[in-house]
Order: sequence, then C-alpha cells, then structure tokens
Amino acid sequence: MLPIALDALIKIAVVIGGLMTAAAYLVLAERWIAAWIQDREGPNRVGVPLTKIRLFGLGQPLADGVKFIFKAEYTPGHVDKGLYFLAPVMIFASALAVFAVIPFGGLLPGNIFPASWGVSEPINLVIAPRLDVGMIYVFAMGSIAIYGVVLGGWASNNKYSFLGGLRSSAQLIAYELPMGLGILGVVLSAGSLRLDTIMQQQAQTGAWNAFVQPLGMVVFCVAAFAEATRLPFDLPEAEQELIGGYHTEYFGIKLMMYLVGEYLHMITAAFLIVILFFGGWHFWGLTGSSDTVTWTQAILRIIVLNVKVLGMIFFFMVARWSWARFRYDQLMSLAWLVMLPMGMVNIAYVAVWQEYGEQLATQAGLPPQIAMAVCGWAVLVATWFVGASMAPPAGDNRPRRTPLEPSFPMNLEIPEGAGR
Amino acid sequence: MNPSQGVLAVGTVLAAAGLWLLLPRGNERGRMLGGVLVIAALGCYGAQIPAVGDWFAKGMFHAIALVTVVGAVATISFRSPVYCAIWFGLTLSGTAGLFLLAGAEFLAISTIVVYAGAILVTFLFVLMLSEPEGYTTYDRRSWEAMIAAPTGAVLVGILTMTIAASISMAAQTDTTHASLEKSPSAAKNAIAADAVATPTVPPPTISELGAQLFTRYLISVEAAGVLLFAALVGAAALVTQGGVGRSRTAAATSSGPREGAAHAS
Amino acid sequence: MKNDNSKVQWVAPPKLGLLGKSYLMLFLHGLVTAMRHLLFHKSITLQSPDERHAIADPVHYRGVHRLNKDEQGRVKCVACFLCATACPAHCIDIVAEESPWPDREKYPKVFNIDELRCIFCGMCEQACPVEAIELTSFYDLTGASREEMIFDKEKLLSVFDQTKDREPMPSKRVISATTGVAAGGQA
Repeated sequence: MLPIALDALIKIAVVIGGLMTAAAYLVLAERWIAAWIQDREGPNRVGVPLTKIRLFGLGQPLADGVKFIFKAEYTPGHVDKGLYFLAPVMIFASALAVFAVIPFGGLLPGNIFPASWGVSEPINLVIAPRLDVGMIYVFAMGSIAIYGVVLGGWASNNKYSFLGGLRSSAQLIAYELPMGLGILGVVLSAGSLRLDTIMQQQAQTGAWNAFVQPLGMVVFCVAAFAEATRLPFDLPEAEQELIGGYHTEYFGIKLMMYLVGEYLHMITAAFLIVILFFGGWHFWGLTGSSDTVTWTQAILRIIVLNVKVLGMIFFFMVARWSWARFRYDQLMSLAWLVMLPMGMVNIAYVAVWQEYGEQLATQAGLPPQIAMAVCGWAVLVATWFVGASMAPPAGDNRPRRTPLEPSFPMNLEIPEGAGR
Repeated sequence: MNPSQGVLAVGTVLAAAGLWLLLPRGNERGRMLGGVLVIAALGCYGAQIPAVGDWFAKGMFHAIALVTVVGAVATISFRSPVYCAIWFGLTLSGTAGLFLLAGAEFLAISTIVVYAGAILVTFLFVLMLSEPEGYTTYDRRSWEAMIAAPTGAVLVGILTMTIAASISMAAQTDTTHASLEKSPSAAKNAIAADAVATPTVPPPTISELGAQLFTRYLISVEAAGVLLFAALVGAAALVTQGGVGRSRTAAATSSGPREGAAHAS
Repeated sequence: MKNDNSKVQWVAPPKLGLLGKSYLMLFLHGLVTAMRHLLFHKSITLQSPDERHAIADPVHYRGVHRLNKDEQGRVKCVACFLCATACPAHCIDIVAEESPWPDREKYPKVFNIDELRCIFCGMCEQACPVEAIELTSFYDLTGASREEMIFDKEKLLSVFDQTKDREPMPSKRVISATTGVAAGGQA
C-alpha cells in the first residue's frame, strides 16, 4: 500500500511541477515565436531581479505569475457569484486531471525503492498505470472542461462572454465526435484503450500510426486543435470580436487558471497526437521496442517522447500565425460535413485492412506495414479530394442564411465592371 | 425491530420530512428546518456505519457517498435550474466515483462521458438559453410535491428491494462470515463492509465487457442501436421541417434571397 | 434595402478549382510564410529606452511645449491669449499681468499647460503672433502624478533652454538650399 501510494505521489509531484513550469515557459516560448514570426523581438527584458542582468527575458514567466497573483481581487457586481468562482476551478482541475493517464515516458527498469518494500516490477511512468480505460478517461475529463467555459461565459453576465460560451460549447461538442473517430482507428489496430499499450504496439511494428493511418491522423489533429481552442479554431475567445470571449470578465488568479488550463489542453493534445500517431517514445534504432528496458533506453525514451511533444507544441504555435480563423459556419461544416465522414472512412479502412488486407499483403509477398502505409495515403488523398469537391471547407465564402437555400443569388447578372 | 433498524427508520422519516420542506416552494424558515432535518437524517445513517475493514477504502467510500447524497438533495432543492444542473453534475461525479471504487472502471468513466459530459452540458445549454430563473411551467411541474414524492418513493422502493434481494442472495451463498448468525443487519453491514474493504483488482475489463456485449447481450445492443438510430432520424426530420418552414417564412417576409447578397457586397 | 439600386455593384466570389477547394495550397502557403519569417526573421523593433527614435525633422515634430525667450532672457509671450483661444483641448491656462518692460503691455504671470489634456495638434504654435510658444521634439514625457504633468512657466522655459540649440526658433532658422528643410543649428 505504502510504496504504491508513494510511487503515485512522486509521479504526481513530478508531473504537476513539470507541467506548471512547462506551461509558464511555453507562454514565454509562444510569445517569442509569435514575435519572431511578426519580425519583432519578444520578451527580452526580465532577468535577475534588482540587477541589470537580462538573461534573454527568461524571468518573464515569474514576473507574469507574480503580477497575476498580486492583482487586486474583487468580484464584478453583476456576475453570478458561485458559478463565477467555480468555472475556472473546473477547467483547471479537469485539465490537470487528464494527466493521470498520460505517460511521460516508457518504463523505468528494476527497483529504485528499498528491497524491503517488495516492489520489483518495472515502474510505469504514468500516474495511474492500472487504469484500463485511459483513452475514455481523457475524453471524460475533456468533456468536464466544457463546464468551465460554459459556466464562465454564463456567470459573467456579459454578452461577449455569453457568446463565447455558446460558441465554445457547440464547438467542443461537435469536435469530440471526429476526435473519437480518429482515435477509434488507432484503438482498433492496437486492441487496447491504454496509451502505453498503443505506444508499445507502434514500437513493436515500427510503423507509426501517422504512416499507416494518415487519414486518422489528419482527422484527429484537426479535432485536437479545435478541442484545445487554438487558432485557427479559437472562436470561443476570438479577441478581435469577443474581447476574450468567456474570460472577458476574469482577471488575476482566476484568469491565470483559465489561461493555464488552456495551455494544459494544448499540452494534452500534443501528448495525445504524439502518443497515438507518432509512436510515443519509440524511435528507430534508438530506444528499442521490448518490454524490458535498460537505464539508457529508459532515459532515451523519456527524452524522445518529450522532444516529440515539444515539436508538436511548436507546430501548434506556428500554426497560430499560419492560417486565418475559420468563420463559425465554416467551423461547423468542417466538423460535421468533412471531418465526421472522413473519420468514418478511416475506421472502415482500418477495419477492412485488419480483416483482409494484412493477409492479402502477406500472400502477395509485400511487407504488410509498407503496404498499409501506401493504402493509407491513397485513402487519405482520395477522401480528401472527394470531400473537397463535395463540401468545400474554406472556399465557400458566400453568406448562408438558412441551411437549405443558397442565399447568394446564383443567377444574378453581374454588371459591367463588378469586382474591379 | 432492533435498535439499529429503529435508528435507520427514524432517519428515513426525518429525511423524507426534510426533503419535503426543502423543495423550492416553501419559505426560507421552512427550508432551513428541512436542511436541519436532512442533516439529522444523515447523522442517523452515519451512526449505523459499521466500523470494520480497511479505514482508507471505507473512508473513501463514505466520503464519496456523502458527496453524492448531498449533491442529490441539493439538486432537487435549489431554486435556479442552472444550479440544480450543476449539483446534478456533482451527484453524477460521485456516482462515477462509487463505480470506480467498486472496480467498474468503464461504467464510471462512461457515466461521466455520457451524462456529465454530453447530456448535462446540452441541458445547461438549453437552460441558459431559455429560462434561467425557472419560472416556466414545465420547470415547475417536476417540483410538484404530490407528483414528485410518490414517483421518488416508488423508485427508491424498487431499488431498495432489488439491493436487499441481492444482499440476501449473497448472504446465502457466502458462508464464511461468522457474523451471519448474529443478526440480519449485522450481516448486511458485514457484507457491505466486505464488498468495500476488498476492492477487486480488475481483470482486463474492457475486452471482457466488449466480448459480453457482442455475444451474450447482442440483442440488447442491437435494440439500443435501433432505438438511437430512430431518435437520430426523428431529430433530423424535425430539424429539416423547421428549416424549410423558416426559409419559407423568411422568403415571404423579406424581399427575397437577394438581401443576403447585398450584405455580401 | 432596395435591391434594384443601380449603384450597388454585385460582386461574386471567384470560383475555386478542386485544388483551391482542397485547402492544400492555403495550408502550405500559410505555413511557409510563417516559417520563413520565423527562420529568417529580421527584427524591426527599436529597443526603446536604450535606443532613441531618430526624428527626421525635429523642428517640425510636435512634442512637449516650450516657452521661448528673447535675447535678454525674458519670456517672449505677451499674454495675448490667442493660443489659449485656439487650443481645442483647453489645456492652456494663462494669467496676465502688466508688463514691467516698456516694449509690451502684458506678460504672463502664470502660464500652465496641462500636458495630459494636450492633444499635440500644434494650433497654439500657429496662433502665436510672437513665436513664443512652440512644440519641441521631446516625445517621452512621463510623470508620477497628474499635478506633475501640469507644466508651469518655469518648466516650459527650462524646456527652451534644453532645446534651443537643437531646434532654433523660426526666426533663427536657416533654410537648407538643397532640401528646403529647416536645418538645426544657429544662424
């Protein structure tokens, strides 16, 4: 009992400490990347306090945190008090709770506890290693996070907040479906809902799911961006139109909980994308793929996983400045008309391949992984272009007043000189 | 009737009276009295908690159970439907926690995903959009004590009977407990404590569950699927009808489809 | 809205081909642009307190005010109130008194400018008949309180002392023959 509890407590301390530091410094990294892309400098002033040493602005997260914490704390008079306090707590707590099932490495070999405690099995680098339903748990916590947004928007008693809350609840619920469909293909091929088993399966075959199920990866990545409400899917907060959306009325420590919660969502999404589709801790010829590990391999696995996650977060940050925000109807039609059917195609493809394709490839003398990768990319390209020709996600910019009638007059005579 | 059963009966009566007073129709003083009565009833139940078994697991169980019960009481006693929904969410989380303690991981997580994550959020959505103060008749009707109390009583009665039956079945099969001969309530407590104290280390439940669902309970799964599909078709039909009607009225009242184009240019 | 208005020009969005509809080109274009700026970024930031903005023409810049002095070190202002009348922000406050000098009737006993109310439009400078009030090229003015930001006569005169070499009064300026721009430096 005691070693297990101690084991869990140490992991929780490591994960929470790491996450909070990471969130603080990722904010700094995001500000740097944003500045560099916009040909600016970014934060470069805050260094050692009370001296002139600047350290490239590495003290900025600390200064930001201190500023947030010491802000005057008052409650606006027009808010619903109870829910106003509850909302940021819910989003922050649920964003942290997700990390109970997300592995931050592979296994640690052997015994680092005293022998008298009787722990001899290798230590699994995830807080709740025995939970069998890891993937569904991630979903459950993600759906709890919606409360924070909806309640925050409603309790603020402010029309911008309310609009943000409405938008986000619709968006998050809509994109949970393609997210689930993207995962199902992976779960089908790994045969388990546990994230460590999914990584193990990719390591053993050596073919990451991104190569053999690219369609699933695309669907899942898009849905993960939308679930993390990052640009180009950040309609819930949309600074330019909703002045911050559901957290317009928040400030100080409560706003910090919201912002850190959002960062945690982004980190979660990056972890999930890497674990499900980019092989987790596996890298060819570097980390090995067996169940038993040496210390070198264990440390290499931790490094490989976290480097991949940082790379994915970097992609999130660059993506923010790459594409414009979707309009609301485009967002919804992308979810329901494009991503949902594509996810279904992916499941069908994976199921058919599991049942027949592998045998056929082996009979034909092809290595099954390569055959599956070729098929997967063919399916991706075909589905993408069929989907594009049927339901253009971005090209259709006409105002649409009702879902059924084309509101733009198609037979309109365009006068001379129009559009110049 | 032995003393412990008497205390439980008193607790039940107190709880019923307290809930009656707590329902959001009386004045503040009556509701305060109701709150006191419910707390007293919870005390009566708490006094009967058997003090055996692993204190940690038992403590977890009772804490989560308390949260669940308090959430349930608050769900029916708050005036604002939004708060009712939030308290209901807490009740659901407590239920999920109890499932988790009993080793039913999948049930626990899917309770949260389905009820707290999907249904309740949609519910909140509707409440916030329509009538947050709860003055509409269809919100009030569920608080009619004459309708609500008998329904609740019937539901609780059925549940209690089912649980009692399963406990007595377990008591008949389980002969290892020496406390069986002493008194029925002690046996009940001992078995309940036993069930709590030894949390079953779950075998790979998901695969087992899937196998069961698609072999033994295949008919049920298919029936549920057909039901959901019918609901989906119905929803789609309703939405389509509304859309056609709206566009027709919009076309009749406004000057036609060119209006939208004018906004675009 | 009237739909038969002949002045309304109807603009149809361009038709997209399959490649355009597929969003792929937009995807690549956005990503390549962002990465190009990220990898080959050339900062255009000016590190403000360390570096100063190079003001191309300090004479014409509209910054903090100054009150000019004549050759004998007296304030040039004759308290005519034209600047206060012209000021759209009503930030100039003058109290006039009989002049101790024979060459004018009045001089300002009090001359206050609320720099926080001022919108730096330069109308006072244009209204002044004796080139007594001018705007300098000081742009970073700060203060710890509102009172501190109300500049009185002494402060405005001291601004003149600081800036007279760099930005001479209009009557002392040399117009560059080649550029037509008033250059700094005494005549």
